[in-house]
This record gives sequence, C-alpha cells and structure tokens, in this order.
Amino acid sequence: MKFMYRSVQQALTNILRNKTVNFLCLGIISFTLLVPGIFNFISINLDRYISRLSENVEAIFYIRDGSDSAGIEKLMQRINGSLLVKETGFTSRDQARANFIREFPELEYILAEFNDSPFPASIDVKFRADARSIVPIESFIHDIEKDGMVESAQLNMDWARKIAMIKKFASFAGLFLSAILLIVSVFIIFNVVKINIFYRKEEITILRLVGATDWYIKTPFLLEGFILGSLGGLLAGGLLLLTIKVFPLYAGFVYNVVKQLIDFKQLPLRLFWELVITGSLIGLLSSFISLRRFIRHTPG
Amino acid sequence: MIQFFHVYKQYFRSNEALSDINLSIERGEFVFLTGASGAGKSTLLKLVYKEEEPTKGQILIDSVNSTLIPPGKLYKLRRQIGIVFQDFKLLMNRTVQENVAIPLLVRGEKRATVDKKVNSTLALVGLSHRKRYLTAHISGGEQQRVAIARAVIGNPKILIADEPTGNLDTELSIEIIRIFEKINASGITTIIATHDLNLINLFPKRIIKLDKGQLVLDRAPEAV
Repeated sequence: MKFMYRSVQQALTNILRNKTVNFLCLGIISFTLLVPGIFNFISINLDRYISRLSENVEAIFYIRDGSDSAGIEKLMQRINGSLLVKETGFTSRDQARANFIREFPELEYILAEFNDSPFPASIDVKFRADARSIVPIESFIHDIEKDGMVESAQLNMDWARKIAMIKKFASFAGLFLSAILLIVSVFIIFNVVKINIFYRKEEITILRLVGATDWYIKTPFLLEGFILGSLGGLLAGGLLLLTIKVFPLYAGFVYNVVKQLIDFKQLPLRLFWELVITGSLIGLLSSFISLRRFIRHTPG
Repeated sequence: MIQFFHVYKQYFRSNEALSDINLSIERGEFVFLTGASGAGKSTLLKLVYKEEEPTKGQILIDSVNSTLIPPGKLYKLRRQIGIVFQDFKLLMNRTVQENVAIPLLVRGEKRATVDKKVNSTLALVGLSHRKRYLTAHISGGEQQRVAIARAVIGNPKILIADEPTGNLDTELSIEIIRIFEKINASGITTIIATHDLNLINLFPKRIIKLDKGQLVLDRAPEAV
C-alpha cells in the first residue's frame, strides 16, 4: 500500500516535472483516442439504426396450388419454430387478390378476366431484429424451399445485403482506423516514458546502487504511462461529448441529414468507459515496452 | 568478508584494468586502497558492489560468490554495502534529508523510522542543521558528508568510498576520515580508495596498493 502510494506520488511528480512534454503527449493521446471514439459513436448509432431496419427483413414463401390446409399449418409451425423468425402470417389466394385490388384499384379490371384468384397463397415471414447475419436467414430459406408445398421463395435480399455490407464496412473501417491511431498513441507514450527514463537516469542509477528492487524503480514509470493513458481517455471522452453536443448547433444541413441515423442526445456510457480503459491499457503497454528497452541501458 | 581469487578485469583487449588480484579483507577492517590515477582502484571497488563483472576469477562477499548473483537479486548485495562515490551521486534538486533517506525508502521502512534514522545519521556526520537545505545549496564538503550519511544509514556491513577527499582541503579531508573511523568503530568494514599519501600517513591503517592493475603492496596497520 505504502509502496503503491509512493509510486503514484513519484509518477505524478514525473508528469508534473516535465509539464510541457507530458501535456503535449496528453493532447495527442486524447486526439488519437477521440478519432476512434467518434467513429465508434457513429458505428454504434448506425448499428442501432440498422437494427431497426433489420426488423423489415422479410421472406415470402409461395405455396403450390392444391396444398391442403393441414400441410400449410404444419409448415407454418415449422417456420415459427426457427429462432430467426419473429412472426408469420398466412395470405390465402383470395386475400392476395383482395390485397392487390386494395393496393392497385386501377388494375382491378385485369382480374376480372380470371374466375379464380391468379395469385398463389403465401406465408409471410418477418425475421427477428437480432438475427443480423444474412447467412443463416438464407440457409433457413433454402431449407424451407425444399418442402414440396413451397413453389418459390422471395426475400428482400437486396435490402438485406445492403445492410450487411454497411455493417461490414463500418466494422472494417473502424478497426483499421482505430488500429492505426492506437499504434500512434503507443508510440507517443513509449517516447514520453523514454524521455522520462533518460531524464531520471542519474536517480535510477542511485536507486539501483543503494539496493532498490527492479519493481521499485519500474512501477512509477508504468504508473506514469497508465495515468497519461487514462487521462488521455478521459479527455477524449469529454471531447467526444463536447463534439456531439456542439455538432448539431453548427452543422446545419448536414445535421438534418444525419440526425435520422445518429442520436446526438447522448453519449453511450459504454463508449466513454471504453475510451478510458483503452487509454489506460495503451499507457501501461507503451511504458512497459519502453522500460524493457531502455531501463537496462541505465548504469548501475 | 571480501575475498578476491585471481581476479582479472579487462575493458578492451589491450587494456587490463586489473590483473590476477588476490586479497582478503576481514570483517570490521579499515583499509586504504591506494595507487596512482588509472591504477585500478575504482574498478576494484566496482567489482565489490558488482557494478562491473570480473573477466576472470571469483569474488566472495560474506562467503557468497558475487559473480553468481542474478540481476534480479542484486539488490540484496547492494543493501549490505554503503557506497560513497567520487562524484557523490546526490540528487541536487532534493533536500539533504531526502537524499539521505533514499536507502531506507527503497527498503520500505516506515516514515517514522526513516525520520528517526535520518536525524541520527545527520548528527553523526554533523549536518543536522542542513537537513532541510537543497543539496545544490550546500558546500562541497557538506555534500561529501551527505553522501557518507546516505551510505551508512542502511547499516551496511561494508562501506566503500571512492576518493572521498578528492576535492577537499587537508583539514576537511582529515575530518572526513575521522567520520569514517567513527563508522568503522561500529564494526562496519571500511574501504577507502585514495591517492592522497599524506592522508594515509596520518592514519595507521592497512594499505593495499595497486599499480597498473596489479596488487603491489598489502601492508598491515602495525607495519605502518
């Protein structure tokens, strides 16, 4: 406890001793964390939007003429049994005809030529919002299509594929950008700790010669990286909050376009803590690498 | 306490800093290590506290082969040895008491114990009145005494001083050696490297003389 107290005190002293370098470092870390933060904020909101849209992924199974109602009932039970399915509805041939007339009254005369409804009966399926991947949905549809009663199936594929593509792109771009910026952060903290090691070279030598353990010497440097990273994360969180509050005030037309997709009212708490934790871990990792590389070259 | 067996130290191929050194220093002894500049005095001391490794040979400190001590356990050896460096190695931006307290703080001693020991050690070297001064603001002689206080505060078994009087006038040098005598009287093995023969002649102690890396004289105190 006393050791930790002394280490924290030493780390804070180091940070305050090299104010310019450390505050510059803090600014750069918070900026490099802010960019992935903004991206993740957009990504989270996009995800929510996509989630809402995913509820509209629908499939229609057209039933062969002459299928008996018991068979259709059994098929509906089978479809309902899938975890992917949210709800199903049955549209008989007559209902399909009525729907057509309701939606296209001006074309009703065409149907007058037919004694029976020309439309097949169908089972309409709505998929669950959390069944986001299109792959199991497609596989499920192919499976149902094999049933003898199903003549064909139709899925709002194009829409669903677009959703999947947006998600894929968002994830990839987010990861790529975050990785680059996080490497930048690691590099910066690594160099700040390196500067501090060189700055305290004489003290490290003395500590070694009077019998300090390796951990006694290293812990303040590790904490220094940790503190810088955490503060950088906190600052990035604050800046992100500021950005999303200020953006609607100045973005004008752009805001009107993106407000459908992005909720500017709140910053998800999860994202805020993610920034702080990422910052701390980056700080710890960078100072660890720096210590491994440079402390052994200190005499003593 | 300290034993050297056929110890060699070579920094470069052509430059042998120490050559076939054999010596034994008993517990509680007071030894002057002398020789001209470049004779190998500092190298020999560095081998004792393991800042340098011998090229060949064995060094036993309190019956432990110091060459076999892994880097992670080196602190155990260093806590048995108090060192007064030629350049003092003090933190100039810290106060006198902060410098002196370092060996106790690295051992995790309680604040109250540290304060008590700092006060008594500063009294031993006659620096109680300078305790709160910044080290950069005191004289060279006082800095020397801060270095001595830091070396002895951890109650070491061995005290090593590398040219502790190098920058001091004769009067101050004698005063410093008297402090070392006082410390040695409490049972601490004391080794002082110096090239000041006048000073050596004033104190009848064992003398070990090095010349070009070789031990050329090992004279017992009674023979002086």
